[in-house]
Amino acid sequence: MPDTDLNHTPQPPQPQQRNTRRAWLGGMAGAGVVATAGWQALPAQAARLPSKAHIVIAGSGLAGLAIAHRLGDMLDGAKITIIDAKEVHNYQPGFTLVATGIWPVTKVIDSNAALQPAGVQWIKEMVAEFDPAANTVVTSGGQRIRYDYLVVATGTHQDWAQIEGMDVKAIGQNGLTSVYPSSEAATATWATMDAFRQKGGEAVMTLPATPLKCAGAPLKMTFMLRDRLAQSGMLDKSKINFYSALGNVFGVPKINDAVLERWKTLGVDVHFTQKITAIDIGARRATFASPEGEKTEVPYDFIHVVPPMRAPDAVKNSDLAWKEGPMAAGGWLEVSKDTLQHRRYKNVFGLGDINGTPRGKTAATVKKSAPLVAQHLVDVIAGREPGQKFDGYTSCPMILREGSAWLIEFDYEGKLIPSLPMIEPLQDSYFAWLMKIRMLKPAYMAVLKGRV
Amino acid sequence: MYEIWLVLNIVYEIALSIWPALLLIALVWVALLVAARQRLSARAFKQACVFGSLVAFMLAISLPALTQSSFANMGYWVDWANLLGVAAGLGAAAALLMWPLAALVCPGNACPVRR
Repeated sequence: MPDTDLNHTPQPPQPQQRNTRRAWLGGMAGAGVVATAGWQALPAQAARLPSKAHIVIAGSGLAGLAIAHRLGDMLDGAKITIIDAKEVHNYQPGFTLVATGIWPVTKVIDSNAALQPAGVQWIKEMVAEFDPAANTVVTSGGQRIRYDYLVVATGTHQDWAQIEGMDVKAIGQNGLTSVYPSSEAATATWATMDAFRQKGGEAVMTLPATPLKCAGAPLKMTFMLRDRLAQSGMLDKSKINFYSALGNVFGVPKINDAVLERWKTLGVDVHFTQKITAIDIGARRATFASPEGEKTEVPYDFIHVVPPMRAPDAVKNSDLAWKEGPMAAGGWLEVSKDTLQHRRYKNVFGLGDINGTPRGKTAATVKKSAPLVAQHLVDVIAGREPGQKFDGYTSCPMILREGSAWLIEFDYEGKLIPSLPMIEPLQDSYFAWLMKIRMLKPAYMAVLKGRV
Repeated sequence: MYEIWLVLNIVYEIALSIWPALLLIALVWVALLVAARQRLSARAFKQACVFGSLVAFMLAISLPALTQSSFANMGYWVDWANLLGVAAGLGAAAALLMWPLAALVCPGNACPVRR
């Protein structure tokens, strides 16, 4: 869909003094956080672009809210509509902390209404259909909504149906756990892990072959399960087996090698190219298949199941999805990995987990890509070509045990790119742990509000 | 520059999450400052600094445990620098808070009222 089909005429940018929307009063003194001081909040007092464009944002997770806040700050007069039925906003990077007994669940639950930007229309339905040729989305309630520009930020679909016999509602029973589905599942996972560590036994951890959001989570769960067993003195009565559907456990070779080396010393056995295909929850048996189709049934006392992931049906079944290449099977959004602009529909951008890019399904990816997508969208509205290039920045604080973590940051190419030169990514670190449990949620909130 | 901006935002969000307590502390501190305004001497400040140093020391030895970790997890110099930085920052804040209180309890001949 070329821009000429839009029912909005792009207007040239007209410099205008940006209205100051927020005046912060904050307390701070280095990390001390006590003294009060006032300062002007916004880093760049850029001119707002006058525009009457209608921008629809599909999804109100971190990506959807961050881009809504930013566009509200960058555009003057534009209509912004968020479409998402979700009432609860989950801080998903905290799910592993809840599921391993580090955080109470209350720390990951917020009201979505409280996080909506002012002046943005919120339609509490899901997008059921994308029709990019007609610049229209259809909601689950049947509303047809036209847009001039679209940001797809729907997140992923957890495809539990690929595992025969799996029942998400049974998480917390019969040793079945998963950190992924919800905060309730994370809570049930910790209760199950806590019970398991009291008596020990056979633990099975899984990893699917699809792209994953927070691909470090299955590894963190494994590290923490091992640590909890060590704390309770049940290591010698337990065995942890990790079944990966791939030929590795993490996509970045240096991290993969470091994790495997560490697991060797910790006694975690890894089985490659073993994909979970079925589970008998009552009998506590999981079935794995090799690429040749050979099936193995594995009994367990504790199992952590990671769902295969793909794009939600609305994206997968639309013309927005990749039609060929490695991302086509999952129906991921066909965006340029450099600009995050749709490769065929130039008035469409993707942000967050939905993007069919080589890597980057984490909150940290949104932190670095939301400003770029906002700027590119404004550029397109103003008739300019998107000019920045996203490097695929992703971060994964890899919890190794209670009290220590690695602070890993990498790009599309899998190159380790620490934000600060003194950080050693694969060094066991208290600082990385402190970042994970104390500083990353405040950083997430700042990203969500469009400030960083 | 971006990292500095990020850190400022993290500090702001932490402060926002506990703003009622911070507001109360600020009000009490201002009230104490007003009450002690004629006795805010260098001697009282030194006493407050001693208190702040004590707080910093206590934090330096207890912060890992307070954050579900331990000294066994101090992996490299960045961990130590971070720990000492946090402890020093909070210790400095404690010293500032204590200054008017130290001035108020300072004996009259040691901290004479300025006229």
